Amino acid sequence: MGVITERTPLAKVQPVKFLLNWGRRYSLWVMNFGLACCAIEFIAASTAKNDFIRLGVIPFAHGPRQADLLVVAGTLTDKMAPALKRVYDQMPDPKYVISFGSCSNCGGPYWDSYSVTKGVDQIVPIDVYVPGCPPRPEALLHGIVRLQEKIKDEDIQEKFTSGTSAVS
Amino acid sequence: MARALSPEEVGARLRARFGDAVEVTEQHGHAVATVPTDAYHDVARFLRDEPDLACVYCDFTGAVDFGDDGIEVVTHLFSIEHHHNVRIKVRLPHQDPSLATLSDLFSTCDWHERETMEMFGIRFEGHPQPVKLLLPEPFEGHPLRKDFALMTREAKPWPGAVEGEEEEDE
Repeated sequence: MGVITERTPLAKVQPVKFLLNWGRRYSLWVMNFGLACCAIEFIAASTAKNDFIRLGVIPFAHGPRQADLLVVAGTLTDKMAPALKRVYDQMPDPKYVISFGSCSNCGGPYWDSYSVTKGVDQIVPIDVYVPGCPPRPEALLHGIVRLQEKIKDEDIQEKFTSGTSAVS
Repeated sequence: MARALSPEEVGARLRARFGDAVEVTEQHGHAVATVPTDAYHDVARFLRDEPDLACVYCDFTGAVDFGDDGIEVVTHLFSIEHHHNVRIKVRLPHQDPSLATLSDLFSTCDWHERETMEMFGIRFEGHPQPVKLLLPEPFEGHPLRKDFALMTREAKPWPGAVEGEEEEDE
């Protein structure tokens, strides 16, 4: 998104901002960081019955460098955490992360484990949390819609100049 | 002549070879041999090499922490030819437990012993690669020991009940 810099106030103009965000929120290439059973629900959400492609979420990005959205689905262990950080760092801005399922939200049933990271938000900034163990595919669809609402109202120039991709 | 040996027959063969040092009982239809620490490797070798025992496959090696009663290492052997199971149990002290490796007899023991090593802090003498298997390298402590402190539980105690305890409280 090289055009959107501090020197082009164009992105501030309402119709341009609307169009830009409309385009961005309906072409989210998604990277599935599948770690456990939640990844199966993610796959179910991508197949014919729920079909999140109709919401503009395009599954199976060729790699993190081609992805806009990262879905962390499953139990993240302390040993795996550096790999998640690396995948996140490889993604180009603007990037979004959905934490899918109780394990990635807070540790879930492994809340007292010696090996599980209690909350993926300790590693990467999270935009939307989807609760459940595992959540139904519909819950992921709802999470995606909430993320799209968030992108709709986003000021991309602000997002870039603030130096962090986390939006609250 | 493939024939599964009963736990009694396995016990008779082990007693004939090792005497009263080895105690053999029956559990779920399997022979369970409780052996002293120094006989562990010899018993495993005997079970593997004796033609009518022929326990050539090591299913797993693990351990159980019994608190003050020490740590018990459990190794499960299976005979592919005869279809019988033998478990070997060794009781080790809590302080600096060490045991001979079986990885020279069974290749599968290699990873199982590495896991048992990191989880319980048992030293397997003669292991070719005594490093952590599953835990991250900087991890301190042996998490499956009963005295391992779970930091989350220090902050918030376990809300559930241990099996059997619940009825006693009522």
